Amino acid sequence: MASQTAFSRRGLLAGLAAVGAGAALGVVGCARSGAAGPMQFMNFYTPQDQGADPQLIVQAEWFDKAIASWNANHPEQVEPIFVPDYVNPMNPRIATSFAAENGPDIFLLSPGEFLRYFNGGVMLDLKPFMTPDAVADFLPEAIGTRVVGDGIFALPMEVEPLSIYYDIAAFEESGLAEGDLPRTWEQMLDVAERLTTARRSGLVLETSPGYYQNFTFYPWVWQGGGDVIDLRTQRATLTSPSMLAALELFAESITRGVASRTPPASGEIVSGFKQGLAAMWQRGPWSIQEFALQAPEHRYGIIPLPTPPGGQPTTVGGGWAWAVNNRGRNPEAAARFVVESVGSMSRECIDRCADWNGRAKSNMPARASVSAAMEQLPSFTDPARSAVRAQLPSTRGEPRYPPVLYKALSNTIQSVQLAGGDPLAQAQSAQSTIESFLRTYEGAALL
Amino acid sequence: MTTTDPPVTRTPRLARTAGRAVESPMRRRERRAAFLFLLPDSLGLLVFVALPMVLAIVLGFFSLDGFGHLSFIGVDNYLRMVGDPQFWLSLRITAIYVVVVVPVMFVVSLALALLVKQRFPGVGFVRSALFVPYVISLVVVGLVWQFLLIDKVGVISRALEAVGLGGISVLGSPNTALAAVVVITIWFQMGYYMIIFLAGLQDIPSEFYDAARVDGAGPWQQFRTITIPLLAPTSFFVLLTSSIAVATGGLDLVYALTKGGPASSTTLIVYFIYEQAFLFGEYGYAAAVGSTLLVLLLLWSGLMFAVTRGGRFSNVDD
Repeated sequence: MASQTAFSRRGLLAGLAAVGAGAALGVVGCARSGAAGPMQFMNFYTPQDQGADPQLIVQAEWFDKAIASWNANHPEQVEPIFVPDYVNPMNPRIATSFAAENGPDIFLLSPGEFLRYFNGGVMLDLKPFMTPDAVADFLPEAIGTRVVGDGIFALPMEVEPLSIYYDIAAFEESGLAEGDLPRTWEQMLDVAERLTTARRSGLVLETSPGYYQNFTFYPWVWQGGGDVIDLRTQRATLTSPSMLAALELFAESITRGVASRTPPASGEIVSGFKQGLAAMWQRGPWSIQEFALQAPEHRYGIIPLPTPPGGQPTTVGGGWAWAVNNRGRNPEAAARFVVESVGSMSRECIDRCADWNGRAKSNMPARASVSAAMEQLPSFTDPARSAVRAQLPSTRGEPRYPPVLYKALSNTIQSVQLAGGDPLAQAQSAQSTIESFLRTYEGAALL
Repeated sequence: MTTTDPPVTRTPRLARTAGRAVESPMRRRERRAAFLFLLPDSLGLLVFVALPMVLAIVLGFFSLDGFGHLSFIGVDNYLRMVGDPQFWLSLRITAIYVVVVVPVMFVVSLALALLVKQRFPGVGFVRSALFVPYVISLVVVGLVWQFLLIDKVGVISRALEAVGLGGISVLGSPNTALAAVVVITIWFQMGYYMIIFLAGLQDIPSEFYDAARVDGAGPWQQFRTITIPLLAPTSFFVLLTSSIAVATGGLDLVYALTKGGPASSTTLIVYFIYEQAFLFGEYGYAAAVGSTLLVLLLLWSGLMFAVTRGGRFSNVDD
């Protein structure tokens, strides 16, 4: 009788095992299943779950609108791909997609990572798709680090100058007034000392190793006239007095106990201020929007980065740019999408960029026309945005350095700031590493 | 002394041949079913473990930037590794990490297994509670501990302050960050090895302990003369697997907890490899370091097999 059963138990299980094996083989064989279809736009804004943070929803909607506008008028469709933890340069998602020759058609790129992709030969020159007046419309501090030779390889959508954000309540509790706001490094440490309590850090400078810490460190070096790489000679200049002074500043903030070794409130400035865990924080304008949405009543202020004796007010301006993969499904269409979205002189494009910086986010514009358009927005008169805008003339774009250079500098900052390393010895070690690397370096200029 | 050699006979082979010749259809179906059951897992291991391992070893002799530029460079990656101070630093940190975590975790897990082997009210809950950390994502573990260790206001920071150790930044100081990673690693892995030890303990016949008690042996003597010797295979398994797991693990924990800092003090070798591959795009170099780690672990495993005689811990002739 058993032999007449249509499906014996053993036969069924064996069949399932075979199906499982077949499925495993199928998984192996479908590595490039996405070669056809819409152009993929990898980003960290959209699609967003509707239950997400209101700020993220607003920004996701901005992206959705820009993509929908393109999709409605062009046969080459764009599909947004959300990548969690995108801003972390160690996120393997984009790197592995390029390594598998299945990189995104369009992707967001920070200056810190520009050379990795440019030197990898995957970025498309967008300039041929732009009009001359649109090229001229981009501010030098925004576009400069995206230019190689005569080409423009990414279009910035924002500029994010770093400032010191301070909590007014903390100042008042410590008996400090507006006149006590620091203008020099020494004043900054002294004021931070008065603001520091058993619970509160007087000053927050970045301490986690990474691109972001390097980004926050650059302006302190530049203020004294120093640099990481001499722009003219393309040689490392890590042992300059300005570099050593900046390293000592970071170290002293820790040894004096006025800055925290780890970021308060897991690095969230709004929570840090609201809970009385921090009083001054080196931060970018994206936090203005964070305060507006999470704690609109909280009183805080923004001042330029204090300067060393004889130094010049200087800050660094980060910001993300749109880039096109020249090995994508349709690079030409992707380039037209990028230019139409954030790099054309059309009224729609200018208004879109103004809406991004003036409403969806609280960054500074990367273009002159957008800056003018933002003057019409209600947010233009916001005191916090005005304080950041006042620093644009002293803003230098975030440098583009290769990963080896970034790591050498990162090790130096970390060692001096948190492990008591000697600034000169550490700087000399990094200088040696970078010089050795630059001897065989063949990529784009380091700016 | 004379010996008698056993008579040479072909009977077993003939018997096997005969057995094969008369294999029943049911046995054949069972053999085929067994093969099919093993096939998916074997394919998985082959495709996702063995093949990448071989490819990684091969890749170690190439320069690969992640954008399709591949060139054979011989042993250059290995020469670079020998001269790379960051590689040696991460190797040293990993060695410290393994040397501290493995023995401590061994002792703690065994102690916990002995504890939960006892019968007391709520022992099931205690076993589960000790095992639960092992099934939690390491990233979540890292974030929870980061929260507990936040400077000034974290629960542990406050506890330290209460005992006169205020002002210590556990995760922000190179002197304590690795210690924190060690403690957290032991905390989340001890439950797993506790279960392994518990299984080993439950395999020891209770008659041995009864006899020892009759002979007047105390708890320590019983532990030394019965538990430890009979637990030898389990101990070998725990030592071998935990040392491999610890040497190749910790990436997600470090990634979430310290990002390898402060000042590279928690940059384990796996974090170093990850950084080379996904931050620097140095896939060939990362593969070379990974292959070196593989060789080191093979040597370590071989040494353990040799020293412990395959986990028996004693001469087979004894």
